[in-house]
Amino acid sequence: MITIATILLSLAAALFMVRLFLGPTVPDRVIALDGLLMTILAAVLLSAASDDSAVSIDTVLVVALLGFIGTGVLARYIEQRGG
Amino acid sequence: MDVVAGVFLVVGALFILLAAVGVVRFHDTFSRMHAAAKAPALGLLCMTIGAALAIRTAQATVVVIVITVLQLMSGTVGAHILGRSVYRRVRPDLRGPDELAEAETETSADDAAR
Repeated sequence: MITIATILLSLAAALFMVRLFLGPTVPDRVIALDGLLMTILAAVLLSAASDDSAVSIDTVLVVALLGFIGTGVLARYIEQRGG
Repeated sequence: MDVVAGVFLVVGALFILLAAVGVVRFHDTFSRMHAAAKAPALGLLCMTIGAALAIRTAQATVVVIVITVLQLMSGTVGAHILGRSVYRRVRPDLRGPDELAEAETETSADDAAR
């Protein structure tokens, strides 16, 4: 089960990377980066679930907050400088 | 119980993969945002439920609930902020009627008057 989920998440990360490189506009890259961050959150949760430890769960909280702040800042940047 | 947790984890990963496919395949920014804003929220919800079922301690469950609530709130707000700035500055080719245009001119008139 863990292996299947890991493969699915790796595929998702690769696809988000494709969009990150293709662009074509800044918001597209922001969307891809946000999705990549979601994939990372899911991967940390998956690794915590696979070794039954709650230690790395707190990391997910911090990364989720950072992702929200990053999206907000980049949206402000787009609004002031254009895409 | 571990089987249930595994199923939740796989379903969550599947939803995130669906979002990634949508982000690559759709052909304008708003469509991509539509795929990227909703599906990962459900995917992450499934992943957190799966992780909570696998770890099964009170501390992990509380943190996982906080993560879920935070993600559901910040995901929607973030998508809204990004969508607004894309609508105002990037202006991708919209298909169909633009129902926001009227409200948006009123808002900018208000901003100018202020």
